[in-house]
Amino acid sequence: MSDSRKEFVKGLITTNPVFVLLLGLCPALAVSTSIDNALGMTLATFIVLLGANIIIAAIRGFVPSITRIPIFIVIIATLVTVVNLLFNAFLPDLHRTLGIYLPLVVVNCMILGRAEAFASKNPMIRSIADALGMTVGFMIALVMISFVRQLLGTGEMSVFGFSIFTLPVLSEHPLAMFILPPGGFLVLGLLLALLRWRGVLKI
Amino acid sequence: MQVRDALKKAFPVILLTVVVAICVSLLTAVGGITLPRIEAMERERILGMLSDMFPDMTRYSLEEEIYTIYKDEDAIGYAFIAVGRGYGGDVNILVGLEDEATVKGITIISHTETPGLGSKIAEDLFTDQFASADIDDVALTRDGGRIDAVTGATVSARAVADAVRSTAREKIDLIRGD
Repeated sequence: MSDSRKEFVKGLITTNPVFVLLLGLCPALAVSTSIDNALGMTLATFIVLLGANIIIAAIRGFVPSITRIPIFIVIIATLVTVVNLLFNAFLPDLHRTLGIYLPLVVVNCMILGRAEAFASKNPMIRSIADALGMTVGFMIALVMISFVRQLLGTGEMSVFGFSIFTLPVLSEHPLAMFILPPGGFLVLGLLLALLRWRGVLKI
Repeated sequence: MQVRDALKKAFPVILLTVVVAICVSLLTAVGGITLPRIEAMERERILGMLSDMFPDMTRYSLEEEIYTIYKDEDAIGYAFIAVGRGYGGDVNILVGLEDEATVKGITIISHTETPGLGSKIAEDLFTDQFASADIDDVALTRDGGRIDAVTGATVSARAVADAVRSTAREKIDLIRGD
């Protein structure tokens, strides 16, 4: 059991998917404009990553290496489409917020990366622990990035419609650049630099 | 022996085909279950928008993609969906008409514009400008109309104004043709 625990904990900081592996940057940068979006994306990624790791760990014994990538992709794409349809039917508000980024979970290299690097070589329980750890790590990274971007880009901090606080000057003159794509890259780069400087990340 | 070798060689292809077949059936099943729900919710959402736009509405009829809004037995307006080409993709707009020359109001059904900039086209500050506008005046101020653009999102704002105006003209021709 401590084995699975190790696989879970590693995803949080030491091999954080966004901050250390630098995987899944497309959705991480695209949706990190608000904390709501970050949490919604985490939920979608969680379902797909957990499903992909479980299925791939289960079939890893007989998947021939030459067709493994297309098989993984088909499985991941199917899971993403299922999640997309279910969100559309049962969580329409979240579906509208995530918009185009929900189908784009399929190109999240973090999911294929974990399938290829971990679930195809490890037993079920450890693959589940890996998926959970990576999801939490993904969430930590997305929430950190979107906190900074939402704060500077809108001057207001609100989660799921509840306003937490409003900054005096920034809310009048928000720095819209932080909501736009360049802001995503800047915030990610500065966060990475900060975390390495403070010794949180050892690469 | 040869058969077995051939099968062994073909195994990856057969497996991939099986996986794809399973995935396709799963998707068909999920799609079949969710589609009616998605459509019903979309209809309900548009109905909600219509009754916000026409508070007096008691019923509506839908013909050739034009909603005719009734208060009891009198037609009090029309509504239809216009599609604008925004900065990030299509913008779907529900447009209400008071009569054959005046806009009642608009509501953005869905869009994929830049959050924080283009997304402001969905806010009341922008959409309220369309209320009671003459159709010929529906254009950005810099294009000679009466709609103020959104700062930093001229493309999105123009997409909405132009789609509302041109679609309204088309639909009015259809309504008059009836």
